[in-house]
Parts: sequence; structure tokens; C-alpha cells
Amino acid sequence: MPVSGARRVLRWLAVRLAGAVFVLWSIATLIFFALRLVPGDPALAILGGPGSQASEEALALVRQEYGLDRPVSEQYLLAMGRLLVGDLGTSYSLRQDVLGLIAEQFWGTLLLTVLALATAWLLALGLATWATRGSRAGRAVASALEIVAAAVPHFWLASVLILLFSTTLGMLPPVSVPGPLGLVLPVVTLALPLAGFLAQVMRESLADALESPFALSARARGESETGVRLRHAVRHAALPAISLSGWAFGSLISGAVVVETVFARPGLGRSLLKAVTDRDIPLVTGIALVSALAFVLVTIATDALDRVADPRLRGS
Amino acid sequence: MLRAPHTFSLLGSIAIVGLLAGCSSTTVTSDEPVEGGVLVYATGDAEPDCLDPHVGGNYPQALLATQYLESLVSKNAEGDILPWLAESWTESPDGLSWEFTLREGIEFTDGTPLNAAAVAANIAHLKDPETGSSTGYLALGKVESTTVVDDLTLRLDLTAPDSALLDSFSMPWLGIQSPTALERGEEVNCASPVGTGPFIVESWTRQDSITLVRNEDYSSAPEDAAHDGLPYLDGIEWRFIPDATTRYAALQSGEVDVIDNPQPNSLAAALDGGEITALLAPRPGASNRIELNSSKPPFDDPRVREAFVRAAGVDEGIESLFFGTVDRSYSVLSSVEKEALSAPEYFEGDLDAANALLDEAGWTERDDEGYRVRDGERLTLSFPVSTNQSVPAEQSLFEQLQATTKDVGFEVILEPLDLSSWYGALFAHEYNLVSAPYTKVGPDVLRILYHSDSTVPAPSGYFANLAQLKDSELDALLTQASETSDPALRGELYEQAQEIVLSGYYAIPLYDQQNNYLLGPDVRGVRALPTVSTPTFHDAWLAR
Repeated sequence: MPVSGARRVLRWLAVRLAGAVFVLWSIATLIFFALRLVPGDPALAILGGPGSQASEEALALVRQEYGLDRPVSEQYLLAMGRLLVGDLGTSYSLRQDVLGLIAEQFWGTLLLTVLALATAWLLALGLATWATRGSRAGRAVASALEIVAAAVPHFWLASVLILLFSTTLGMLPPVSVPGPLGLVLPVVTLALPLAGFLAQVMRESLADALESPFALSARARGESETGVRLRHAVRHAALPAISLSGWAFGSLISGAVVVETVFARPGLGRSLLKAVTDRDIPLVTGIALVSALAFVLVTIATDALDRVADPRLRGS
Repeated sequence: MLRAPHTFSLLGSIAIVGLLAGCSSTTVTSDEPVEGGVLVYATGDAEPDCLDPHVGGNYPQALLATQYLESLVSKNAEGDILPWLAESWTESPDGLSWEFTLREGIEFTDGTPLNAAAVAANIAHLKDPETGSSTGYLALGKVESTTVVDDLTLRLDLTAPDSALLDSFSMPWLGIQSPTALERGEEVNCASPVGTGPFIVESWTRQDSITLVRNEDYSSAPEDAAHDGLPYLDGIEWRFIPDATTRYAALQSGEVDVIDNPQPNSLAAALDGGEITALLAPRPGASNRIELNSSKPPFDDPRVREAFVRAAGVDEGIESLFFGTVDRSYSVLSSVEKEALSAPEYFEGDLDAANALLDEAGWTERDDEGYRVRDGERLTLSFPVSTNQSVPAEQSLFEQLQATTKDVGFEVILEPLDLSSWYGALFAHEYNLVSAPYTKVGPDVLRILYHSDSTVPAPSGYFANLAQLKDSELDALLTQASETSDPALRGELYEQAQEIVLSGYYAIPLYDQQNNYLLGPDVRGVRALPTVSTPTFHDAWLAR
């Protein structure tokens, strides 16, 4: 690549990274103030929730220890200062380092979401190809499937899959077990709705691509129909789906809250649910920030992929 | 004890639970216990933040602590106190001093000997504000000081006689831990508390499971255990599966051996026979009730309270929503408490009487929607419902109650809330009706729930007397009962006290707070400890 090209890429990256930092700071600020609007005394959350018999002295001690007796502006600056050095604080309910807790749960959720994204992509490609190639009836069935898949809620899908594959057929475990078998149902539950959505997007651009002049000229060169699809059309069709994958990843993280709870899988989603019900402000903040960071990084990555897949974007 | 959030059911009412029996397995038919194997227990109760039940003190902690901690005394199925870690005890004639003599030769699993100093350290730990004990701290409220008399004898001096002291010491929240382990500090002790129980906490994978292994030196089984020696099981894998449908599916597929908190339909299926069996264990203390807040209108008028109780037909709802797995209760105490007074006469449905009472109380007019109105104000009742504590069937029951009381002109507004917001509504007195279960061993729970002292909030805002009952006669009865060691007199006092609560229409009893367990086809010898109905696996074995 010529020097000017490399410089352009670097500048693009720098702009994106600066944007990412701004996004993270905004999110941290938003969460900080939003969580102060939620009813419930943080000092009580630290001392075992609102049902506790904590004494006035114990409450005062905790407020002092966690800096809750200081003005909000001071608390905000302290919190941001800590974030700058990567300190996410101590969980109220678990009395452990938030960063350590997240590190423990992060990989499980990452594995789940990445596998679900990959599965969704494969399913969507299959569906879109079927929908553009098959007979009229086949097309109708495929697009109906896409709509149904895109519309089903995770918790319903999870219970149907458990009923079918665990209770009735006895093929797969209904709860997470070590090894790949325990991952199948959670991944499929997360992937199916997304696959329906991605397939709808891909089908349209695939159909457009197959009718465009470059497909016609490829066919004229004697390229087989499969060749036209694999070498030319799919690449085109994938573009909007790649752009959507950043968004999709975000939706998978929120879907993980439901899926991890139903399938009893350890992970960030389940931690977040517990942290919210416990009013565990540092843990909620930590998980939200890490999810936001993952989201931002994936968006940058998909934008980069877009540039690889679509040479037109490289100049801009 | 405050019931902690449990049974987070996402699928809940939507899922159609499979009627098909799960796996088929070849079961050993012999009744001779088999050694070995790891039992998998799946709980729907919340994952505790701390495994030391002295810290806080909720039900999920009690479930776990029963496996590795033991108490000074226990109870048998008849409700009699049994010796456990304490071999014997004496109460001084004035009731102000107790001496406990401990069993000899017992060691904690870290090698520390069980002696008077160890028990004294536990009491100090419970009473230390830094520990943050709620249940244990309240139970030991009258204990002023401890004195080590000799190696195995401990004296407790009280500020007032306490007829509930032995009941209190039987609870898992007052389980005795190794003093050496307690000194390691809260964070370490929360992750690996050390006791004398049949199992030892080996490891804890957050949000997933806790691994418990057999205590190879176990020698302190209570008198009513089926056998004396070591546990049969190699260990227990304690899993957290919050969703009730998943939990049941895991039991059916053989992934787990025992589950708790099943949905009523799964429980009814198990009770009908089949490979999966059910173990029902009512909790002691109070029954599940709806309290009527008597401190503010409209329930400050006893006629309105009676009208509501007479109009609230809940029998059919309980029968249909719980598939016949619970019995209607007419007592504010659990049916396992000997002193429970059952008074169905106050709860007979009578819509005419209800209408007449409301007319008499001045709620004579009705608005367009059929609700009663007085001085331009509608007869509205706010009912915050904790979605963490009320199972889906119970929430449906409240909806039925809303419909039945509408006939006589009540507008019940159900507010489903998460635990923190629910407590918030209670602390702010923004409720007319509320259902808040409370578990404590013994009838002294009445003092916590209905003594006027319990209307005074703790610094956290918490108060247990949600009916806001302030009756000096009742206060006197409850105080006297808690200081009386004569069982006959105590029973009489508690009966009079319950009569005041029931005849004043301060509460609608629903059913016993019940622990339900479903056991897989290979599981044998599981029983619930009669103290707070937590399961014990000391006698359990796997026929496979």
C-alpha cells in the first residue's frame, strides 16, 4: 500500500478511537447520574439490602468509606479519575474488585455472542441464497421463515427449544454443561432471531446484485451461476449485513441477559441482572462500560471490514 | 428472616411444561444405602453474596449453611427441641441465665476444637455490628454477655427471660463456625466458611455452582438422623438455575438430582406419581398472609377491614392456581407451630355482610365504574407486590382477589415491583395491602410481626409490623409469652394474641410458606430439617 494510503488509514483509525473514548466517557457520565436517580440508598445496598437491620453507625461508616457523604460533583470527579486508571471500584454486594468479577465472566459471554453471531451469519446466508434461488413457493417459505425468526422473543424460543430438544427428544442438556454440547441451545436461541433479521437484509441486496450489470457480464464471460454468487454477488450482499453486525453484536449482548438466565450459564448478562436487582452501582457501571467498549470496538472492526469488502469506501 | 428473592421465572406462565416423563433409567431396587457419588442440587433461590449465614441472614444462605454448619440444638418432626452440638442446657429459675454444655470431642473441619470459647466467639461475631447480621442479631437481642465456665460449658446472661432462645439457636443463621476461620476476615470467610457439618465447602464458581465434599471426620449427626456415621455421598454439586422451567427440564433429563421451588404444575405432576417424587416441607413461623395496613384510611376503620376480608374469596383461587398442592390456612402461624390458632369463622365469604359493612362505614355511593365512593373519594387500595418474592401463581391469586373484591366496590391497584422498589413503597407507607412472608422458628414470630415496637423502623427504614397493629393488650400478651417458660401458659397467651389479630381483621392468611423439593428417580434418604425446612443430605444416597 502506498504511504499516503497507510497515513489515511491511520488517520481514520485515530478519529474513530477518539470518538470511542468520547462515547465511553459519555456513557460513564450518563450511568453515574442515572443510577443516582434510582430510588434506594446505596449505603443500604452495601449493607445487605433494604431489609437489613444495619445500625445508624454502620450506615455512617459505610457512607464515609465509599465516599457517599461527599458532594455529588466530587464523587463524579473521583469516579472519573478512577476510571482513567482502569479502576472500576468494588462491588457493593459481592465486596470484590469489579474488574476481577468482570474478567471472570467476560469470556463466557464473549464466546456465546461470537458463536451466535457466526451462526446467525451462516443461517442468514443460507436463507438468503435459498430465497433468491428457489422456486416461487420456496421463496415465499424462506421469507416467511425470516419474518418469524426475526420476531420471536428469546425467552419464548428458549423454552420451546428446551421442551423440544431436552425434555422430549433428550438430545441436548437444558442447562450449561462443560463442553460444546451445553452451548448448542443457548447459541441457537441467540442466533435465530438475528439470522432472520440479517437474512432479510441480505436477500434484498443479493437480489439487486444478481441483476446488476457486473453479474450479467460475469455470466456472459461464461461464469457458472454458483461462481457468480460466490465470487461477486455474495460480497455485495454482505455489505449491509457487515455494517449491521456491530449493531447485532450489541443486541446479542442484551439478549445474553435472558439467555444466560434461562440456561443458567455464568456470564456478564446474568451478572448485570443480579447487579441491577441488588442496586450494585459499581458492578452495573462496570458491566455497562465493558459492554459499551466491546460494542465500540466491534463497530470499528465492522467499519474496517466494510472498507476491505468495499473499495469505494477506502478513498473517503 | 426476610424471604430473599427466589424463583426468577422468565418463562414462568408462558411455557408449557412437558408432561412427558424425562429419562428412563435402571434403578437399583435395594433399600441398602449405596456409598459414593455426587448429588447435583439445583436451587431457584438466589445465589448468596456470602456463604456465612451470620452475615445478613436470608433463606438461600440457610439452604447452603445446613450442609456445612450445625447448630447448638435442633428440632424433631414433633417440634421438640433436640440436643445437637450442645448436649444439655439449664435455665436459671429467674430465666436470666442459661448454661449450655457442649458435646465432647467434636472438631471443626479445620481442626479447631468445638468448645465454650468457640461458641462465645460465634455469639460475639453475630452481635458485632461490623458483621452486618440481621436475622442472627435480632434472635440474640436479649443476650447480654457470655462467660466460659469451663472448656465445654458456656453461660449466657440475658437482659430479660427469653422463651424463644432455644428456637433461635436451632436456626441455621446461628450455625456455629470455627473461630479460627472467623478470624480470617469477612471476604475469606464468606467464600469458605468452616463448620462441623457433614459437608465442606471446597470451591465456589460464581453464578454457576458450589462444590461441597464429604467431611471425612463427621461425627455430630443429630438424634433424629437415620444414621450416625459419615455421609454416604462423596459430595454435592450445588447449582444455581434461576429459571423454574429450565430447572424442571434439567431434573427430567437427569442433568440434576434434586430441585427446589418447582412450579405448582410440576409439583402436582410429581405428587400424582411417576419417577420424580416430591418432598413437601412447610416452613415454621408465620404463614403466608396478606396484611391490611390499619394505620391509614380506609383500613383504619375495622368495618372496612372486615368487609374486605369477607369479600376476598381466595379458596377457589388457591385450589386452582396451586393445583391442590397447598392447603388454605386460617392462621397467621404456620401449621407446624403447635401454638397456631386456626379460625376459619373470620374468613367465611359473605358479600351481603361486606356490602352492609361498607354502607355502614359511609362508603354508600358507587361511581360509573362500580367502585364505592365517599365524599368524592374512591375506595382504592394500593397493593405493592414483590415480583421477587411472590411466585407467579401467587401473583395470579392477587389478581383474582382484585376481581372478587371489585364486586363489593373495592378498587385494588396491584403494583408489581422489584425488591428494592417494593421495600421503598413499604418504608414510605405507600400501601394498604401487602404480602410479606417471614420465617422464624417458633411462635415468637408473632412478637416480631404484631408488637407495636415493630412499627418503629430500623435505621434502614425496615419494620416488620406491616399491619401497623398497635394494641397495648396485644403487646402485653406477646411480651409476657416471650418471657414465660411454662409451655401451657405460653400456649394460652399466644392463643389470646392470635385471637386479637384475627378477630380484628388485620390479616388474611393464605397458606403455609412451604418448601417443595422434587427428587430424581435415583435419590434416596433426603429429608428436610424440621427447624426451617432446609434439606439435609447426611442420610442421602444415590441408587445408581
